[in-house]
Amino acid sequence: MSPEAIADSSFLIDGSRYSRRDLLTRLFDVVHVPESVLREIQLPPAVDWVAERLADGSFALFTETPDIETKARELMALSRSKPLKAIDYPEAVCLAAGLRFGYTVLSENGGAFFAPRVLNLGVVVWRAFEVLVEAWRRGLVQDITEELRRYEQEALHLFRRRDWEYIWSLVGRR
Amino acid sequence: MEDILEAFREARELRRRHADWDFIKRLPPKLKAALLYYIETGDIYVASRIAGMSVAEFNELRIKARVPSVT
Repeated sequence: MSPEAIADSSFLIDGSRYSRRDLLTRLFDVVHVPESVLREIQLPPAVDWVAERLADGSFALFTETPDIETKARELMALSRSKPLKAIDYPEAVCLAAGLRFGYTVLSENGGAFFAPRVLNLGVVVWRAFEVLVEAWRRGLVQDITEELRRYEQEALHLFRRRDWEYIWSLVGRR
Repeated sequence: MEDILEAFREARELRRRHADWDFIKRLPPKLKAALLYYIETGDIYVASRIAGMSVAEFNELRIKARVPSVT
Protein backbone atom coordinates (compact mmCIF):
# COMPACT_ATOMS: atom_id res chain seq x y z
CA MET A 1 0.00 0.00 0.00
CA SER A 2 1.04 3.57 -0.59
CA PRO A 3 2.04 5.64 2.49
CA GLU A 4 -0.19 8.39 1.09
CA ALA A 5 -3.93 8.35 0.43
CA ILE A 6 -6.57 10.61 -1.04
CA ALA A 7 -10.14 10.62 0.32
CA ASP A 8 -13.48 11.58 -1.18
CA SER A 9 -16.46 13.06 0.65
CA SER A 10 -18.34 9.75 0.95
CA PHE A 11 -15.43 8.25 2.91
CA LEU A 12 -14.72 11.27 5.13
CA ILE A 13 -18.34 12.03 5.99
CA ASP A 14 -19.19 8.39 6.73
CA GLY A 15 -16.01 7.84 8.74
CA SER A 16 -16.23 11.08 10.70
CA ARG A 17 -18.97 9.57 12.89
CA TYR A 18 -16.73 6.67 13.91
CA SER A 19 -15.12 7.19 17.32
CA ARG A 20 -11.81 5.62 16.26
CA ARG A 21 -11.58 7.54 12.98
CA ASP A 22 -8.01 8.61 13.68
CA LEU A 23 -6.84 5.04 13.07
CA LEU A 24 -6.59 6.34 9.52
CA THR A 25 -3.69 8.61 10.46
CA ARG A 26 -1.79 5.60 11.88
CA LEU A 27 -1.96 3.85 8.50
CA PHE A 28 -1.02 6.68 6.17
CA ASP A 29 1.67 9.36 6.40
CA VAL A 30 -0.77 11.84 4.89
CA VAL A 31 -4.34 11.80 3.58
CA HIS A 32 -4.96 14.29 0.78
CA VAL A 33 -8.34 16.03 0.64
CA PRO A 34 -9.26 17.59 -2.74
CA GLU A 35 -10.70 21.09 -2.69
CA SER A 36 -13.81 19.77 -4.48
CA VAL A 37 -14.29 17.32 -1.59
CA LEU A 38 -13.68 19.94 1.10
CA ARG A 39 -16.50 22.05 -0.34
CA GLU A 40 -18.94 19.22 0.49
CA ILE A 41 -17.84 18.93 4.11
CA GLN A 42 -19.69 21.72 5.86
CA LEU A 43 -21.03 20.20 9.08
CA PRO A 44 -19.69 18.65 12.27
CA PRO A 45 -18.37 16.08 12.95
CA ALA A 46 -16.77 15.86 9.49
CA VAL A 47 -15.71 19.51 9.20
CA ASP A 48 -14.20 19.49 12.70
CA TRP A 49 -12.30 16.28 12.06
CA VAL A 50 -10.92 17.39 8.71
CA ALA A 51 -9.96 20.85 10.03
CA GLU A 52 -8.15 19.33 13.03
CA ARG A 53 -6.23 16.88 10.89
CA LEU A 54 -5.35 19.58 8.33
CA ALA A 55 -4.04 21.66 11.23
CA ASP A 56 -1.80 18.88 12.58
CA GLY A 57 -0.56 17.91 9.12
CA SER A 58 -1.95 14.39 8.95
CA PHE A 59 -4.34 15.59 6.22
CA ALA A 60 -3.30 17.90 3.37
CA LEU A 61 -5.30 20.03 0.99
CA PHE A 62 -5.11 18.75 -2.59
CA THR A 63 -5.65 21.38 -5.27
CA GLU A 64 -6.82 19.93 -8.56
CA THR A 65 -4.55 20.77 -11.49
CA PRO A 66 -5.73 20.93 -15.12
CA ASP A 67 -4.18 17.52 -15.93
CA ILE A 68 -5.95 15.89 -12.96
CA GLU A 69 -9.26 17.52 -13.95
CA THR A 70 -8.81 16.31 -17.53
CA LYS A 71 -8.05 12.76 -16.39
CA ALA A 72 -11.02 12.85 -14.00
CA ARG A 73 -13.37 13.79 -16.83
CA GLU A 74 -11.90 11.02 -18.99
CA LEU A 75 -12.60 8.52 -16.21
CA MET A 76 -16.18 9.80 -15.82
CA ALA A 77 -16.78 9.39 -19.56
CA LEU A 78 -15.19 5.93 -19.52
CA SER A 79 -17.39 4.84 -16.60
CA ARG A 80 -20.52 5.93 -18.47
CA SER A 81 -19.64 3.57 -21.32
CA LYS A 82 -19.87 0.61 -18.90
CA PRO A 83 -23.07 -1.10 -17.79
CA LEU A 84 -22.24 -0.42 -14.13
CA LYS A 85 -22.51 2.53 -11.78
CA ALA A 86 -20.96 5.72 -13.19
CA ILE A 87 -18.45 7.71 -11.16
CA ASP A 88 -18.90 11.42 -10.46
CA TYR A 89 -16.41 14.27 -10.37
CA PRO A 90 -15.21 14.16 -6.72
CA GLU A 91 -14.37 10.45 -6.76
CA ALA A 92 -13.04 10.73 -10.32
CA VAL A 93 -10.56 13.36 -9.06
CA CYS A 94 -9.43 10.94 -6.34
CA LEU A 95 -9.01 8.12 -8.87
CA ALA A 96 -7.08 10.40 -11.23
CA ALA A 97 -4.77 11.49 -8.40
CA GLY A 98 -4.38 7.87 -7.32
CA LEU A 99 -3.31 6.95 -10.83
CA ARG A 100 -0.99 9.97 -11.20
CA PHE A 101 0.71 9.89 -7.80
CA GLY A 102 0.18 6.31 -6.58
CA TYR A 103 -2.06 7.33 -3.67
CA THR A 104 -4.45 4.80 -2.15
CA VAL A 105 -7.97 6.07 -2.89
CA LEU A 106 -10.41 6.11 0.04
CA SER A 107 -14.07 6.04 -1.01
CA GLU A 108 -17.46 4.63 -0.03
CA ASN A 109 -18.74 5.13 -3.57
CA GLY A 110 -19.56 1.81 -5.24
CA GLY A 111 -18.57 3.06 -8.69
CA ALA A 112 -15.17 4.16 -7.41
CA PHE A 113 -14.61 1.01 -5.35
CA PHE A 114 -15.12 -1.27 -8.32
CA ALA A 115 -13.48 1.08 -10.86
CA PRO A 116 -10.08 -0.69 -10.80
CA ARG A 117 -11.80 -3.86 -12.03
CA VAL A 118 -14.50 -2.37 -14.25
CA LEU A 119 -12.28 0.25 -15.88
CA ASN A 120 -9.05 -1.76 -15.60
CA LEU A 121 -7.25 0.95 -13.61
CA GLY A 122 -3.96 0.45 -11.82
CA VAL A 123 -5.09 2.07 -8.59
CA VAL A 124 -5.97 0.75 -5.12
CA VAL A 125 -9.35 1.78 -3.65
CA TRP A 126 -10.18 1.13 -0.02
CA ARG A 127 -13.41 1.52 1.92
CA ALA A 128 -13.63 1.75 5.71
CA PHE A 129 -13.71 -2.07 5.63
CA GLU A 130 -10.21 -2.35 4.14
CA VAL A 131 -8.92 0.38 6.46
CA LEU A 132 -10.16 -1.47 9.53
CA VAL A 133 -8.84 -4.83 8.35
CA GLU A 134 -5.41 -3.27 7.73
CA ALA A 135 -5.51 -1.64 11.19
CA TRP A 136 -6.31 -5.05 12.68
CA ARG A 137 -3.44 -6.70 10.75
CA ARG A 138 -1.05 -4.11 12.21
CA GLY A 139 -2.29 -4.71 15.75
CA LEU A 140 -4.03 -1.33 16.05
CA VAL A 141 -7.39 -3.07 16.49
CA GLN A 142 -7.75 -6.02 18.85
CA ASP A 143 -11.10 -7.51 17.87
CA ILE A 144 -11.93 -6.92 14.19
CA THR A 145 -15.49 -8.26 14.50
CA GLU A 146 -16.27 -5.87 17.37
CA GLU A 147 -14.60 -2.97 15.52
CA LEU A 148 -16.59 -3.52 12.33
CA ARG A 149 -19.80 -3.65 14.36
CA ARG A 150 -18.81 -0.44 16.15
CA TYR A 151 -18.31 1.23 12.77
CA GLU A 152 -21.69 -0.03 11.53
CA GLN A 153 -23.46 1.36 14.59
CA GLU A 154 -21.69 4.72 14.80
CA ALA A 155 -21.72 5.56 11.06
CA LEU A 156 -25.08 3.93 10.28
CA HIS A 157 -23.22 1.78 7.79
CA LEU A 158 -23.65 -1.90 6.93
CA PHE A 159 -20.95 -4.19 5.61
CA ARG A 160 -22.05 -6.66 2.96
CA ARG A 161 -22.39 -10.38 3.54
CA ARG A 162 -19.25 -11.09 1.49
CA ASP A 163 -17.23 -8.77 3.72
CA TRP A 164 -18.45 -10.54 6.84
CA GLU A 165 -17.73 -13.94 5.29
CA TYR A 166 -14.17 -12.79 4.62
CA ILE A 167 -13.77 -11.76 8.26
CA TRP A 168 -15.28 -15.02 9.51
CA SER A 169 -12.82 -16.92 7.29
CA LEU A 170 -10.03 -15.13 9.18
CA VAL A 171 -11.26 -15.21 12.77
CA GLY A 172 -14.25 -17.55 12.88
CA ARG A 173 -17.91 -16.63 13.17
CA ARG A 174 -19.14 -15.10 16.43
CA MET B 1 -18.61 -8.98 -13.26
CA GLU B 2 -21.59 -10.89 -11.84
CA ASP B 3 -20.20 -10.53 -8.31
CA ILE B 4 -20.13 -6.74 -8.75
CA LEU B 5 -23.75 -6.68 -9.89
CA GLU B 6 -24.63 -8.86 -6.90
CA ALA B 7 -22.83 -6.43 -4.58
CA PHE B 8 -24.93 -3.54 -5.94
CA ARG B 9 -28.11 -5.61 -5.58
CA GLU B 10 -27.34 -6.56 -1.98
CA ALA B 11 -26.47 -2.96 -1.07
CA ARG B 12 -29.73 -1.69 -2.59
CA GLU B 13 -31.74 -4.34 -0.73
CA LEU B 14 -30.13 -3.41 2.59
CA ARG B 15 -30.88 0.27 2.05
CA ARG B 16 -34.50 -0.49 1.14
CA ARG B 17 -35.04 -2.84 4.08
CA HIS B 18 -33.62 -0.56 6.78
CA ALA B 19 -35.08 2.75 5.57
CA ASP B 20 -37.71 4.53 7.69
CA TRP B 21 -40.38 4.70 4.98
CA ASP B 22 -42.87 6.59 7.14
CA PHE B 23 -40.30 9.37 7.61
CA ILE B 24 -39.41 9.40 3.90
CA LYS B 25 -43.05 9.60 2.78
CA ARG B 26 -43.61 12.73 4.89
CA LEU B 27 -40.71 14.67 3.31
CA PRO B 28 -41.09 17.48 0.74
CA PRO B 29 -40.96 16.10 -2.85
CA LYS B 30 -37.36 17.16 -3.58
CA LEU B 31 -35.94 15.54 -0.44
CA LYS B 32 -38.06 12.42 -0.92
CA ALA B 33 -36.84 12.09 -4.52
CA ALA B 34 -33.23 12.52 -3.41
CA LEU B 35 -33.54 9.83 -0.75
CA LEU B 36 -35.25 7.45 -3.17
CA TYR B 37 -32.40 8.03 -5.63
CA TYR B 38 -29.89 7.33 -2.85
CA ILE B 39 -31.66 4.14 -1.80
CA GLU B 40 -31.63 2.86 -5.38
CA THR B 41 -28.04 3.83 -6.25
CA GLY B 42 -26.06 4.50 -3.06
CA ASP B 43 -24.62 7.58 -4.79
CA ILE B 44 -24.53 10.26 -2.11
CA TYR B 45 -23.00 12.97 -4.33
CA VAL B 46 -25.75 12.96 -6.96
CA ALA B 47 -28.41 12.48 -4.26
CA SER B 48 -27.13 15.60 -2.48
CA ARG B 49 -27.36 17.56 -5.75
CA ILE B 50 -30.98 16.43 -6.22
CA ALA B 51 -31.76 17.57 -2.68
CA GLY B 52 -29.98 20.89 -3.19
CA MET B 53 -27.64 20.18 -0.29
CA SER B 54 -23.96 19.57 0.37
CA VAL B 55 -22.95 15.93 0.81
CA ALA B 56 -22.58 16.52 4.57
CA GLU B 57 -26.10 17.95 4.84
CA PHE B 58 -27.54 15.08 2.81
CA ASN B 59 -25.75 12.60 5.07
CA GLU B 60 -27.65 14.05 8.05
CA LEU B 61 -30.92 13.49 6.16
CA ARG B 62 -29.82 9.92 5.33
CA ILE B 63 -29.25 9.22 9.01
CA LYS B 64 -32.62 10.70 10.03
CA ALA B 65 -34.23 8.41 7.43
CA ARG B 66 -32.28 5.43 8.86
CA VAL B 67 -30.86 4.52 5.45
CA PRO B 68 -27.56 2.68 5.95
CA SER B 69 -24.57 3.39 3.76
CA VAL B 70 -23.40 0.17 2.09
CA THR B 71 -20.51 -0.12 -0.36
